[in-house]
Amino acid sequence: MFLLAGVLLVFGANRGGGPKTQQERIDSLTSNLACPTCSGESVFESRAVAAEAIRSEVARQVAAGLRTDEEILGFIEQRFGGQVLLVPRADGLDSLVWALPVAVAVFSLFMLFSAFAKWRDNRPSAPSNDDELIVARALDERES
Amino acid sequence: MKSKNLVKFVSAIVAVVVAMFFVVLLVAEPDTDMVARSPLLGQPAPAISSRTIEGDPFALERRKGSWVVLNFFNSTCVPCINEHPLLVDFADAESRRPDGAELYTIINDDNSESIRNFFDKNGGDWSKITDDNGAIAVAFGVARVPETWIIDPNGVVRLRITGELTEGLLGRQVDLLREDFSS
Repeated sequence: MFLLAGVLLVFGANRGGGPKTQQERIDSLTSNLACPTCSGESVFESRAVAAEAIRSEVARQVAAGLRTDEEILGFIEQRFGGQVLLVPRADGLDSLVWALPVAVAVFSLFMLFSAFAKWRDNRPSAPSNDDELIVARALDERES
Repeated sequence: MKSKNLVKFVSAIVAVVVAMFFVVLLVAEPDTDMVARSPLLGQPAPAISSRTIEGDPFALERRKGSWVVLNFFNSTCVPCINEHPLLVDFADAESRRPDGAELYTIINDDNSESIRNFFDKNGGDWSKITDDNGAIAVAFGVARVPETWIIDPNGVVRLRITGELTEGLLGRQVDLLREDFSS
């Protein structure tokens, strides 16, 4: 089951979406940028002046066709700072955002399995020969 | 290592990390400086070109050789209105110097008519640059006005001041940068 889920996850993550139109690129890029003057809104959603300006700049750069999506995001990030990216980068200190939850999840699973293993070891086991001998003696004494 | 010891060890590490976060929060100074950080500081100024409200062409890179001050402005923004007399004084003082800085207003989300009316009423005969679609604001990473930027004669961005200017701040900063530049 886990294997199937893993295979589907890898397949889904790597599946190409086909070529994007310019408008799709603009929408996708602006959905990944935070409006610098709003709280919790992306540039795609916001009607704030700064968001409109960023949207226009993204549209201009996409139309010019000189920069990749990554380069356009880098351009905006260089101007407005890392907080403008809604999806943190996976390098440098920012990578902790991705690595820490995984590390915590792995550690929690490890602790859970350790606890289960401990409980299993502490289960009452089958009586030993000595135990049976003691019980037999006790029964004999009661009957006699 | 037994699992009990491992739990203690990891708990100790987590406690230390949390304690360090609290120390950082307690010790960190609030970022209230008007002189703000920007990745553009020390870098060549973005190559911007536009037009003045009179329709004359403006290209920032053609201003090399002079100190340039860009003030991002909107005629309805209260801090912009408040700091305007200080900009008039600054421009006046700089015009009397042989190496005086050139001041430009970058119009932010405003129309030429409002800008013309504002400057007719409140003074200021420097050039006002139109910023269609906010391209200049994005090039400098300006999200809110007012903001003031200083660019040296080599075309390198030297200072960013966010928010309303205070008395004498701009003149002092330009003087300090001039001294630094000539030494």
